[in-house]
Amino acid sequence: MNYPFGTGRARAAPYALLAPGILLYVLLALGPSLATAVYSFTDATGLPNSPIRWIGLENYREFLTLGAASKENLDALIRTFVFSLAVTVVQFTLGLLVAVLLNQKLRGTKFFRTLFFLPVILGVTIQGLMWTLFLYPLGGPLASFLGLFGLHSDMLGGQPAEAFAWVIVVQIWSNLGMTMVIFLAGLATIPSEVYEAARIDGANRWQVFREVTWPLLTPSVNTNLVLTIIGSLQAWQLFLVLTGYRAGTQVMGYLVYATAFGQTSGTTAGNTFRQGYGAAASIVLFVVVLAIGLTTQYLLRRREARLLE
Amino acid sequence: MSTTMTPNAHSSGGPGAGVAVRRRRMDPGRMTAYAFLVILAIIYIAPMAMLVLTSLKTLPEFTKNAVSLPTSFAFDNFVEAWNKANFPRYLLNTVIYTVSSAVIFVVTGTFLSVAIARRFVRGGGVVFTLFLIALFLPPALIPQFQLILRLGLYNNPIGYILLFLVNPIGIVILVNYIRTIPVELDEAAAIEGCGYLRYVLQIVLPLAKPAIATVAVLHAIGVWNELVLATIYLTKSDYYPITRGLIVFNGVYGNNWPVLAAAVLMIAAPMAVFFVFMQRYIIGGVTAGAVKG
Repeated sequence: MNYPFGTGRARAAPYALLAPGILLYVLLALGPSLATAVYSFTDATGLPNSPIRWIGLENYREFLTLGAASKENLDALIRTFVFSLAVTVVQFTLGLLVAVLLNQKLRGTKFFRTLFFLPVILGVTIQGLMWTLFLYPLGGPLASFLGLFGLHSDMLGGQPAEAFAWVIVVQIWSNLGMTMVIFLAGLATIPSEVYEAARIDGANRWQVFREVTWPLLTPSVNTNLVLTIIGSLQAWQLFLVLTGYRAGTQVMGYLVYATAFGQTSGTTAGNTFRQGYGAAASIVLFVVVLAIGLTTQYLLRRREARLLE
Repeated sequence: MSTTMTPNAHSSGGPGAGVAVRRRRMDPGRMTAYAFLVILAIIYIAPMAMLVLTSLKTLPEFTKNAVSLPTSFAFDNFVEAWNKANFPRYLLNTVIYTVSSAVIFVVTGTFLSVAIARRFVRGGGVVFTLFLIALFLPPALIPQFQLILRLGLYNNPIGYILLFLVNPIGIVILVNYIRTIPVELDEAAAIEGCGYLRYVLQIVLPLAKPAIATVAVLHAIGVWNELVLATIYLTKSDYYPITRGLIVFNGVYGNNWPVLAAAVLMIAAPMAVFFVFMQRYIIGGVTAGAVKG
């Protein structure tokens, strides 16, 4: 495309005005992002002006094979898969169901939509504290409710697996709205004539969904699956608020944070910060996310191509 | 045609009335749909309601029975939370971080996006690709920390703001939107003798306002809610944003839920109101970003 605003020095204007944006991106995001791989081969700490030594694959060796810690690391990796799988399956299914229901001409759809999306805006701090209260174990609302059925849970203070399960619940509660609005945006692009044609052909609700809605919703299905899978593999911030760094509940994201920045919340000096090791852990997570993300993309593309035939 | 939701559609349907037949068939479905949505709504309202109820109780009341209704509507908890939690300070910090980073990002981001969207710069396509793949890059967390540390900006508001000057999804939204602005305007502006800067500020900016507003609001929400980076980078309590302030307050007041609930509510309520009013921008933005990014 040609540039209509003059030649010579005037031609430099867009470059000059674009420069700050690129500079910030390269310096603060792209550069550091790529440098994570470099740091993973060093013994960097969080101390200012401390020398950084190149130690090759030592961090990876330690992370994957060395002693009891490496077993914990692998446990965290498995836990991350479990977390991601549970969150993705429930959030995707529930989000789709809610979106389909709210896409009808029902009274109050706007209210429901606003309500279900609201937690996304409130952020992890408020989500987490709100649910810490809701899961108050000594006669709190959910404890009392479960009590009605003779059930009991120690909530976030219970066994690690129990606490972990509650975090999954909160994670889904917090992000369902995001999945829902993406589906709703997809549903809005399906013209109503298509539904009417299907109805005239005598299709029942389930058939309409199977034969019309589901295939036409493919772009939103793909977006939601990729976003939820990648997002839940990397998610850990609710753990920070709800459980803290607790043995038996750590996921990879939290492990990276805890090793690189100290287990407690950054109030101590940097000498417990194992940043090189943390970088290696974060590359391990990254490779996992990339592999799963790309596989998902590939499978979804193939499915889409099959649908279009 | 407005469909009524009263069940008397059964009786009004005469023979051969196709609409009535359809309604009769849909009614049980509708009821199930409603029942499901209402149950889900309760699951969404309950934690919020608990927060409100708790904030209005006294500590003895709460300890005795966590789910009882408050006996009197005293607002002491709010006063106590406001005074003891150092809230005015934290709120001011959050506002400073949010506004300054959103403004800087939107300004630099808009200039960047115009040049890319209009292909006014060589290599613009490559630059755009760099933003598009940002989602699939390793996290920048650790080297970013090293950078800020070595710049001497650790535990420094400026260093903290630096972390929020980049937002790849925002760029993607802006570029895609600016591409929809007719190119004819560029030539018309140039013929009128308009320079590049004026063209961006007076032609593109007003037309791209919806996208810019969306991106600014989304970016601001992200900075406002940030907890992890605040925990990593700001250890001096004078610099805490409200999120970190709340967590620290939780550590100190962990057992005094009425006051803690009041504190959380004071932050959550304005955000909820803000969301209800800005909903169109916010939801439009997240879906645009998600679908195109």
